[in-house]
Order: sequence, then C-alpha cells, then structure tokens
Amino acid sequence: MPQLIKEVDGLWQLCASEEIDRARLDTWQVGAPLYLGADEEPTQEHASAASIALGFPAFNDGRALSSAVLLRTRFAYNGDIRAVGQVHEDILHYMVRCGFTSAEVPDERDVDTALARIKPYSDFYQQSVVQPEPQFTRVTRGTAE
Amino acid sequence: MYRYDDFDRAFVNERVAHYREQTERFLAGKLSDDEFLQLRLRNGLYVQRLAPMLRVAIPYGTLNSTQLRMLAHIARHYDRGYGHLSTRQNVQFNWPELAEVPDILEDLASVEMHAIQTSGNCIRNVTTDEFAAAAADETVDPRPYCELIRQWSTSHPEFDWLPRKFKIAVTGASEDRAATAVHDIGLRVYRNDGEITFDIFVGGGLGRTPVIGALIRKGLPISHLLTYLEAIMRVYNRYGRRDNKYKARIKILVRAMTADGFRDKVDAEWAFLQDGPSTLTGGEIERMEAHFEAPPFATLDAFDLAEQRLQHPQFGRWVLHNVAPHQQAGYAIVTLSTKITGVPPGDVSDEQMDLVADWTDEFSFAELRISHEQNFVLPHVPQSKLFELWQMASANGLGVANKGLLTDMICCPGGDYCSLANAKSIPVAEALQNRFDDYDFLHDLGELDINISGCMNACGHHHVGHIGILGVDKKGAEFYQISLGGHSGHSGIPAALGRIVGPSFARVEVNDVIAKILDVYVEHRADDEGFLNCFNRVGMDPFKERVYATAD
Repeated sequence: MPQLIKEVDGLWQLCASEEIDRARLDTWQVGAPLYLGADEEPTQEHASAASIALGFPAFNDGRALSSAVLLRTRFAYNGDIRAVGQVHEDILHYMVRCGFTSAEVPDERDVDTALARIKPYSDFYQQSVVQPEPQFTRVTRGTAE
Repeated sequence: MYRYDDFDRAFVNERVAHYREQTERFLAGKLSDDEFLQLRLRNGLYVQRLAPMLRVAIPYGTLNSTQLRMLAHIARHYDRGYGHLSTRQNVQFNWPELAEVPDILEDLASVEMHAIQTSGNCIRNVTTDEFAAAAADETVDPRPYCELIRQWSTSHPEFDWLPRKFKIAVTGASEDRAATAVHDIGLRVYRNDGEITFDIFVGGGLGRTPVIGALIRKGLPISHLLTYLEAIMRVYNRYGRRDNKYKARIKILVRAMTADGFRDKVDAEWAFLQDGPSTLTGGEIERMEAHFEAPPFATLDAFDLAEQRLQHPQFGRWVLHNVAPHQQAGYAIVTLSTKITGVPPGDVSDEQMDLVADWTDEFSFAELRISHEQNFVLPHVPQSKLFELWQMASANGLGVANKGLLTDMICCPGGDYCSLANAKSIPVAEALQNRFDDYDFLHDLGELDINISGCMNACGHHHVGHIGILGVDKKGAEFYQISLGGHSGHSGIPAALGRIVGPSFARVEVNDVIAKILDVYVEHRADDEGFLNCFNRVGMDPFKERVYATAD
C-alpha cells in the first residue's frame, strides 16, 4: 500500500491508508469517486465526485497539474484531489499549488522527505489555486532606484 | 536594468537552498540518476561528455559589470579560466564540479543571478534583441515585458513540467534580431494608439523539424499578455505529445491541429482566463517599465569619425562592421566579437570578462549584453570614445572587425563537449576561419551568416544560416550536411529555412565545398547583391552543380 499523505486543517501529514473504489471514466456515475488518467478530460460533471484521483504516469509528466487547476478553478470542485501513480517528493509543491489535497507516496519513497518538501519556498511570483492573487497585486514590489 | 527587490532575493536564495538539498540527497543515494537529472536540469546543470556543464541565465541577454565580474570569478575559481557565450544569450561553464554547483549558485545569487530554468522541459530564459533600448530602429524597448514573463514563468505551478523545452523570444524593433519566427512563442511588441501591444506567433522552431511560427493573435493589449500566454501553455501542457521527444515541441502540436485549430483551442481556453488574476495592472506595467529607464545620456553632437578612420584603416573596418547606430545622438552600439581564429566561437577567458566589465563601466553605463551570435555588446558607447575602446579591445583579442561576416559564425559546442552531438563543430569553424582569413575578401563577400550545429538539435541555428552546416553521423563517421538560403529574419528580410544542397560531405571536404559555394555567389551576384538575394534569384542549381561536379 502506498503511503497516504493528506492536508488536514492546513497541515500535510501521514494518514492511515484508504481503500477507495474509484471508477474509471467509462463506468463512472455522478457522485462516485473518480480516477482520471493524465490524458483524460475533466468536465463540470466531475465536480459531483466524492473524491478524485489524478494519475501521474511519470513523475515529470505535468498534465495532471493542469487537470487539477481546471477542476478547482473552472469547475469549482471542492472535494479531495489525490495524486496517484509516480508521485515524487520534488513535485509536491507544484501539486499543492495546483489544488491537490492528498497524495499517495509510493512505498519505495521516503515519506518524511516528502512531507518536508511540501513548502520549500515561502512565496511565489504567480497566483495559484491556493494563492489566488499574484505577487504584484498583493505586495508593493520594489521600484527602480 | 531590473534590480531585485526583497522578494526576488528571497526567492533566489530559497532556490539555491532547495537545489543544495537536492544535490545532497543525490550524493547520498536518495535520488536516482534519472530523478536528479530532471531536478538538476531545471537549475541549468547538464552532465556532458567530459564533465558537468552549468548554464547560467542571462535574462534577455542583459547584465551589468558587477555580474560579469562574478562570471569571471566563477570561471577562475570553479572552472578552467573561461566561459562560453551561448546562442541563447546565456553563459555556460564547461568544467564545474557537481558538488560545487550549489556554491556557484550562491555566488550568482549574491549578484542577482541564477541558473533557474536554463534547461529541462520548462519555460526557458526569455530572449530578445541584443540592441534593445539602444537600436535606432526600435519602436518599443522589449525588456520590461521580458522581465514580466520571466517572473511569471519562474517555478510556475502548472507549467514547469511540459512535454518539452519551451522558448519565448520578444522583439520591439523593425529588424528582428531576436529571431522570433523560429521560437515556440515569438512576440512582436509595438505601440497601438499609445498602448503597448503584441502580435503573437506560435510553433516556430529549429531542431529536426524546422518551422516558421504562425501568427495566432494580432494586437493583444499588454494587460492580457500573461493570461493569453497561460492559455497557450495550458493547451500545450495538456495536448503536446509526450510519447516521443522528437515530436514533443509545440510546433508539432500546432501542425497536427493546424494553426487555425490551435488558435481556436487557445481562444476557447482564454475565454475563461481573460481578465483573471494574471491580468497585468497599470501599476505593475509602470513599475516594470521604470526599472528599464534609459541611463543618464549626455547631450552630445554626432562625433565625426572620418579622421580616425582614415588614419587607422583597421579601426575604419571595425566601425563599419561592429558599430551600429544608436537611438541617442552621439552614441553608438558596439559589438565585441569573440570570433577569433583558433578560439571556439563564444569562448572568453576570465581576464577578458574582467576587462569587458571595466570597459562597460567606463564607456557604457556599466551595462552590457550577450548576443545570440555569441558576442558581447556594449549598448551605450559615446561615439567620441569608440577609438579608445577599439584600441583596448584590439589589444585583448576582442577587436576583430568581423561582425556579420563569414568568420563571425554561430557555432554550438559540438562533439568536443556535448554528449548529444553527432559531430564536432568547433574544428569546422576554426578550419573555415583559417581558410578565409583575408579581410578584403571577407569584406567583399559582405554579410554572410554561416551557422554550424553538431546535431539536429540545432543549437547552432544551422537552418537559418545563409549557409548552414549540420554535423551528421554516417556509419560512425562525422559528415556534414550543407544547406543554403536560410535567414533568421533580421535586416528586414522575412525568416526562411535553408534548403539542403544534397548528400553530406566529410569534414576534410567542407572548406572546399564552402569555397565553391562562395565562388558561385561571386560569379552570379549582380552589383552589390547579398548572398541571400543572389541565392533566391539564381536558385539552388548552380550551387549544386558546382559542389557535386566531378573533377575532369
């Protein structure tokens, strides 16, 4: 069983693993937990899912990042979005900013390293799902001397 | 030029710390080679044929003298006393120790520099006109918008793990010195009723499948720049091919969808993003433009160089080729050529970097540029100081009068350094420089771009050379394919891709083949017709006949 980490009250932590019976797109019914592959299209209908897992076929495949952003920003999905598949600790901070709220860290990877890599930066330039305003509208940036 | 604020500084420092930690995990065996590869590439570190290579970002090719002195220090302290100016306006070091790279990054951060996103499948360093804010033919200084794009694209949450590398170039002048037609995104910026406005080209590129970019948006107001880029990036991130790295660039996607189909998809995406949080505010645009205010130019009259040129013919040649007109009266733009016979194109020593830094302080408001032709540019030199600068440059191997001439070749590091290369490129350049060393002949030929790449990845931009030379592997031997008629889009001529002459040649044949091509040009040209116009008029046949003619 992969190691499940989740955001609980704003803090990412190791949790007991969960057995969730997720439907693939072709058999999914409204309201049920859903699995979307990296090449599958999120839609407004999916916002009814109890939870959604997005697959990473390779750790450096960024498609699920876009899927998560679409689910959060376009389809206003509020449930859990979980990263599954080739989840890598160094991609976690991107996942968090794209709206993932949990991840299955593969057994062979060190979960403490992963938890320590959730927030390697105090802030970023752009807006994201978790920070809806970019740096330049939030802060008075430096001007020319 | 742009100066970091507290946020920029904190971010770059955190990036260094993050990379240090990743390096330590790799050295401790906690990251595999493949995993670390992806992480180190996003910080500019390749592992090459002989040693690691670190590519330092020079955002849009602009740097100050303090930063250049730091590069000299890095060359001296961590490398073998030299660095390499790349064809994407960056600086590369060929011999750093992997374990020392975090220290190098820390040194870079101390002068507001980094190596973020200089390689890997992410949005790379934005490039622009090396004469920005100086060129007489410029309508808009593109650098503030390059910096806005740099900040937006740095560690972007959604667009840092793309199907393939992604290059954006911006130009604001009538001559497209940034080669925007052959970039993943090319931006042409101008004023429309006083408002900064962009035309957006997508899907240009070199490499295996060279393509001229398609115009997908005309007249986009500045406020929408980032949201429109987000729409393009999202379509590419989701639909670009990931199954074959040779078909993963955006140009392949644009071709598969057709330019119209791609535009429709982007517009549909943009309908949701338009006026969203990335919409640029007037305040942010003004803040960025203020960072790039002109230096305190003196009010000068044009300086008459006639006397000096007459007395010093070599200075006269240098002025003719390496000095370009400035938008400010009494000033000029100087190109210091690195293309000296016997030195790999773009290579400069630590002493030369220190000297150029001194000259930059003395003559050019402490600001300089790196051009995609791999030369230094001092953008703001008073005309009255040109002679003094030329004397010093000449005494230190940087005063060669060959900008734009045959010997000012663009050349990738090739098989001497690069593990991707099929063939060497530096010795080919050197052999040509040795063969064609007569200034009068070179001057008579006029502007001639010879671009050399050691493999299809086309780092030497061979597709857009008037004469392109591509290293290919033929059963384990190094061969060279020659193409003619390419053009990167400068001098007001539309960009064009070169056409292959025919079967490739062994390295020993290349010099003779180029000599025959030049002979055909000289025989066929009308008056002062340039190589490209002549080629376009007479076509491939006479060239082809001559180079493949069998000796009687």
